[in-house]
Amino acid sequence: MPDALGLAAIVTKFALYLGVMAAVGVVLATFLFRLDRTRLVAATFAILGLGATILGFSLSGANLTGDIGGMIDPEMLGLLWMTPVGSAFVLRIVGLCLLITGLFFGRIGQWISVLGGCIAIWSFGHIGHVSDLEDWRLDIALMLHLLAVALWIGILIPLKRLASSPQTHLMAAHVGHRFGVVASFTVPVLIIVGGYMGYQLVGSWPALLQAGYGQVLIIKVLLVGALLGLAVVNKLRFIPALRSGDPDAAVHLCRSISIEWLIIFAVLGVTAVLTTQLTLPT
Amino acid sequence: MKQILFAGIIGVWATGAMAHSPLEATTPANEATVSEMPSEVLMDFKGDIRLTRVAITHADTDSMDMDLGDQTSFMQEFALPMHDMGKGAYVVEWRGLGVDGHPMTGIFKFDVE
Repeated sequence: MPDALGLAAIVTKFALYLGVMAAVGVVLATFLFRLDRTRLVAATFAILGLGATILGFSLSGANLTGDIGGMIDPEMLGLLWMTPVGSAFVLRIVGLCLLITGLFFGRIGQWISVLGGCIAIWSFGHIGHVSDLEDWRLDIALMLHLLAVALWIGILIPLKRLASSPQTHLMAAHVGHRFGVVASFTVPVLIIVGGYMGYQLVGSWPALLQAGYGQVLIIKVLLVGALLGLAVVNKLRFIPALRSGDPDAAVHLCRSISIEWLIIFAVLGVTAVLTTQLTLPT
Repeated sequence: MKQILFAGIIGVWATGAMAHSPLEATTPANEATVSEMPSEVLMDFKGDIRLTRVAITHADTDSMDMDLGDQTSFMQEFALPMHDMGKGAYVVEWRGLGVDGHPMTGIFKFDVE
């Protein structure tokens, strides 16, 4: 069981994942599907990501000294600054600030926001277990994996909002259908690169079953499996029903998205544990 | 709120799977009993680390920070001078930073007869 600082690190990492992935996802979804009224949502998540980035960096200082004073200890923060933690910190701040800036500049701003989002996501390859293995194929795989995850998370709030109002049911069906088409490419990519990374990180079936890292990875895969099941039902049942004008389908779709959020929160929580508390099997 | 609670429960459950120690070995070894107080504690890590804090507790006294002296670079092996605080149980709690930027922490114990 982690100590108080360890728990704070997990919670902050969770907020970081939620903030960055949802902000980038909303920006990507807006860009791809020409969505309206997503600026506030994207900005809110980006600010959450910025706050978690700063707090996480500071908490790393506290983890080095074992007390709260480490959060503002210049020696500890300077030490962190010289490591990949410092590089990731800069990339996240620059990326998220670009993302927020782009929200104020119309169509051209969307390109700026997408660029900022990609920079913020690229930061995740600079620290952590993937960067430890120093393999450029894993860096690319992680980038693709995270972009696919971000888009999945990013579509949920706009889609639920559209499905919640009878006036925008048709729009919800249209966006849901177009997302389903894009997802038929991005979700297999997510699964394939996720499997590839898992294999490279864990290394063998015994390590998967016996090591703590492997066991937690299994929990994550099961949760993602449940998420996939819901996505399939949305794509094959609720979205087609909504397109044919069935208002009940909108209610089912909203409920399904709420459950998807529940599972996504769990997936991000498990990922935060994987990346803060557990080392790779040797 | 329910989502956050659910994520929290799953996360805490997942921490039950414990991490491996980044420590290869220590002298005295963890849980060892030695006949006399060693003049220094040796810590051998699996990879390079910069130690940032090492605290030692003897019996039930308050913990005391050990002098890390000039150990200000990333290394695999550390030798830290010990103060003789008499017989009994010693607990060494260490913290450090891996070259990859991971904060690390651990604990080991030994007894002096």
